[in-house]
Amino acid sequence: MSTLVVEKLDVFYGAIHALKGVSFHVDKGEIVTLIGANGAGKSTILKTISGLIKPARGSIAYGGQDLSAIPAHRLVDVGISQVPEGRRVFANLTVLDNLEMGAYRRRDAKGVAEDLDWVFEMFPVLKERRRQLAGTLSGGEQQMLAMGRGLMSKPELMLLDEPSMGLAPMLVREIFDIIVRINATGTSILLVEQNAIMALAIADRAYVLETGTIALEGTASELAKDTRVRQVYLGMETA
Amino acid sequence: MLLGFDMSQILQQLVNGLALGSVYALIALGYTMVYGIVRLINFAHGDVFMLGAYYGFFAITRLHIPFILAMPIAMGLAALTGVIIERLAYRPLRQAPRIAALITAIGVSLLIQNLGLKLFESRPRPYPQIMRTIVWDVGGVVFSNTQIVMLGVALLLMVLISLFVYKTKTGKALRAVAFDRDAARLMGIDSDRIILITFALGSALAAAGGVLVGFYYNRITPTMGTMYGLKAFVAAVVGGIGIVPGAMLGGVIMGIAEVFVVAFVSSTLKDAIAFAVLIVVLLVKPAGLLGRAVREKV
Amino acid sequence: MGNRRRGSILTSLAVTAALAVGYGIVSFMAYKSWLSSYHVQILIWVGVNVIMGVSLNLINGFTGQFSLGHAGFMAIGAYTAAYCTKILGLPFAVALIAGGITASAGGLLVGVPTLRLAGDYLAIATLGFGEIIRVAIVNLSVVGGPRGLGGIPAHTTFLWVYCVAVLAVVVVKNIIGSRHGRAFIAIREDETAAETMGIDTIKTKIAAFVIGAFFAGVAGGLYAHKITYIDPGQFDFMKSIESLVIIVLGGMGSITGSVVAAFIVTFLPEVLRPLAEWRMVAYSLMLILIMLYRPKGLMGSAEVSIAGIRSRLGRAFGGFGVGVGAQAACTAAADGSGCGSRSGAGGADVHARAAKLPPAIETQGVCMNFGGLKAVCDLNIQIAKGELTAVIGPNGAGKTTVFNMFTGLSNASVGAVLYNGKNITNRRPSEINVAGIARTFQNIRLFSNMTVLENVMIALNGQHHYSMLESVLRSGRYLQAEEEIRNRALALLAIFKLDNRADEIAGKLPYGDQRRLEIARALATNPHVLLLDEPAAGMNPQETQELMELIKWVHREYDLTVLLIEHDMKLVMNLAQRIIVLDHGVMIADGTPAEVVKNTKVIQAYLGEEAV
Repeated sequence: MSTLVVEKLDVFYGAIHALKGVSFHVDKGEIVTLIGANGAGKSTILKTISGLIKPARGSIAYGGQDLSAIPAHRLVDVGISQVPEGRRVFANLTVLDNLEMGAYRRRDAKGVAEDLDWVFEMFPVLKERRRQLAGTLSGGEQQMLAMGRGLMSKPELMLLDEPSMGLAPMLVREIFDIIVRINATGTSILLVEQNAIMALAIADRAYVLETGTIALEGTASELAKDTRVRQVYLGMETA
Repeated sequence: MLLGFDMSQILQQLVNGLALGSVYALIALGYTMVYGIVRLINFAHGDVFMLGAYYGFFAITRLHIPFILAMPIAMGLAALTGVIIERLAYRPLRQAPRIAALITAIGVSLLIQNLGLKLFESRPRPYPQIMRTIVWDVGGVVFSNTQIVMLGVALLLMVLISLFVYKTKTGKALRAVAFDRDAARLMGIDSDRIILITFALGSALAAAGGVLVGFYYNRITPTMGTMYGLKAFVAAVVGGIGIVPGAMLGGVIMGIAEVFVVAFVSSTLKDAIAFAVLIVVLLVKPAGLLGRAVREKV
Repeated sequence: MGNRRRGSILTSLAVTAALAVGYGIVSFMAYKSWLSSYHVQILIWVGVNVIMGVSLNLINGFTGQFSLGHAGFMAIGAYTAAYCTKILGLPFAVALIAGGITASAGGLLVGVPTLRLAGDYLAIATLGFGEIIRVAIVNLSVVGGPRGLGGIPAHTTFLWVYCVAVLAVVVVKNIIGSRHGRAFIAIREDETAAETMGIDTIKTKIAAFVIGAFFAGVAGGLYAHKITYIDPGQFDFMKSIESLVIIVLGGMGSITGSVVAAFIVTFLPEVLRPLAEWRMVAYSLMLILIMLYRPKGLMGSAEVSIAGIRSRLGRAFGGFGVGVGAQAACTAAADGSGCGSRSGAGGADVHARAAKLPPAIETQGVCMNFGGLKAVCDLNIQIAKGELTAVIGPNGAGKTTVFNMFTGLSNASVGAVLYNGKNITNRRPSEINVAGIARTFQNIRLFSNMTVLENVMIALNGQHHYSMLESVLRSGRYLQAEEEIRNRALALLAIFKLDNRADEIAGKLPYGDQRRLEIARALATNPHVLLLDEPAAGMNPQETQELMELIKWVHREYDLTVLLIEHDMKLVMNLAQRIIVLDHGVMIADGTPAEVVKNTKVIQAYLGEEAV
């Protein structure tokens, strides 16, 4: 069963036609990845889903519910949380406060406390540094905090925007392992990545974006072997 | 130069400066919180402070409400005023050029002031004496029970607002929205609601300042918002605009600087010292004493 | 050229005639007592407000420097002028000029320290200065201190105010229509881009402050000699606000708007007089409503001008147009030869310069930190003269940082940046541009409210000189230089196929056109080295293809060293002679496209670690 269904999405950024009829879906329990080079429109898709950008045409539905009428700040109520590109942690708040903000709309104190323990278990470094200002964390720690914060709303579907950006390979692997663990608890994942190999290694299915359109799609294992992916990335003529 | 004066005189002025500074700090908090969250110099804030003083005045003189209740009532009414201003005048301009919002703020300031002149009369009103002034002399330093009440109330409110901003969920959300509005929205924080809360709180604090000024200086006028407002605003900038402790620090600095200049230099420089401090601070630390410079991303 | 000269003289004559008639009508009406002395007095206040508004508009509206202390300059002028006539017994004209000059000095004094600040902080600092000036006067007993200065001779007549107001309008208008004015506006539009176009933004901003303060000072002198009694309270913060209201109400950057708004702001309280005490309430309410419903003011940035009226009339009655010939001539040369190529205006020197030493840009072991994060580390890049090199790498690799270091927007924490073997590490962007490095920006930084043509003309600022006085007087040198600038700009636009859009607003162009315009603008600064930051971002495949041809052509024709950042790998592979790959601020590969594409480190950086 599909949870997130995006159909024929057209988005303009001022005069730029950033997305041209993009369609894809995420099924329950899946890890789906959207890969593609910089500027292909990956982040635009996520911003449109979360309501920060209004699409010109097309529809986005989650569990059958049309998302276009839902303002950005109500998306967590539906069960979607987003870990934005560039992490965007609240640098002026402590690690703990950042996590609390992730659970902003939740009223079940007990559940929140449990989830906090769970996040700390998954990211022990955050527990260590919970009293520290988020701005003082390293890039990798900030990424973990952003993910932890995203988890605190107890999402059914998590949107991850370029979690590997600017991180050293070691850390990238760690982050991706955690994504798999999050998925194992039943959270569906939409992973937007430039790091195609890593993303394909953990995803069930994948879509390859090229300048605002979906150039390739298929199971992750198929695409991992597909030489066309490399061509899209490195700009070689497709044979 | 100060060495020519005896210590008790300096201490005396410190006490007076602290009293005045605490009022500046209360008003400055509203400027700083609003600026931090919507990047607007809310010129009408000084006039909300004036309204607060009058709300308190009428509550005590017309409705015969005791001071202890008049203050919260004035704060509540001012909060409501602040919310109405934000909703009607500022929110429609959230996407407009910033200067439009600034001029609107100036317009709102003029409107309140002129409404005040019309409705409250332009003559200064003597604030009702709610307690008999008792003066103590401790080693040449004189302080009064009104001074203690004023400092105490101001301090209490500052502690409360700090607890709110740093310890409550809504306060944290407020700082989150101020830092990154879009990211906050992704967390499920309704930024418009948080902005309204900010205006309400800032206005309430200004009203408290207004009531305290009336209580302490015994005199209120419909135009008093301009100078108090400007100086409190300067205090907010000196401390680092958008930063809550900065407003308090700036307020105290402004109060002490002003009192010292009047006492030891010349009373005609009373209104200039604030701006002199402002310019020196801006040139040395452009983001204010507690502020951090932000680089433009190219 | 002769045509243009004649047109300019004709315009001046027409304007002078119209102004004389305007004055005649008012004096006639006053003579016939249709206008009471009360009306004439209001007209005098209108005139003073026009001068205040227009001069503040130069600072705020055109240069974009938010000043809240204009009344301070007015106060300086008022007091100086009053002192000159009343105490020194000098003639009124001398007193007015003295008032203007001292106010200018005040502007300089305020401008030099505060113009490092921007936006709201500048506004606050100028507000502070305005108040300090006021308090300083309170403490000056020679001019009466807080009691004020009375018994000032009532020299100010309608004629005086009328003439000075006209003068202020003409001066500001003529400056705005010159290379100096374009520099002002460029700063308002995008200070960083203006700086990289070779505009000394600090000097320019101070110039705006000094000129604006001068007229505010003269306005103060006129004011003092009308009201005959001045005290510091008249020049408080509210007075500054009044001028601000005029320019915002009229429209920031519209002289016509300021004039119209000066009328409204002066007359409105008079019209509202029947409301008695409610009039200020009504006034402020109207101010709020205007902002809510017309946040850009009555006129926006539009102007009513003789030329505009003439062209409208011309369209209606056919003919009467002047000066479109040059445009047509260059449009024909759109294929790139003829007046399109730089051999026309100033191109010969480029080839002469090219023959010298092998110029290169290079970095020597530079590091750059952003708040603890290393953006670039120990980077050594050498770009030989005439190369067309691409810099690629994943997000956050430090590519734009490298560009910023080459153009002076970022200063390396460690190491040196060299241009032609000269160290340019801590030089200002404008100096670096003048030396010969030009760039475009990843997120397009055009002067978006200016026309396409003006965008390019700004970039030619540094190559055609005439003084501000010459622009006010519309001297022959001014007219000739403007003609040249215009023609060169049009020729350049023709190359980029933008000449047919020359008069459109840059920010409203389609995206691809904006990208090309930015390149044209960079080229107009006559660079040796051109840095292009993601020129193809957001373009469709056809536009990208055309862009590629264009870059190749420009590289060859202008004998340039080109460095480009680009994510469109097809473009990079087809265009670049050499590719430098950055990852995490470190150079991981450097070679021909064929080499780089096979490089395992590059594949890892792009596709992820286990890609090989």
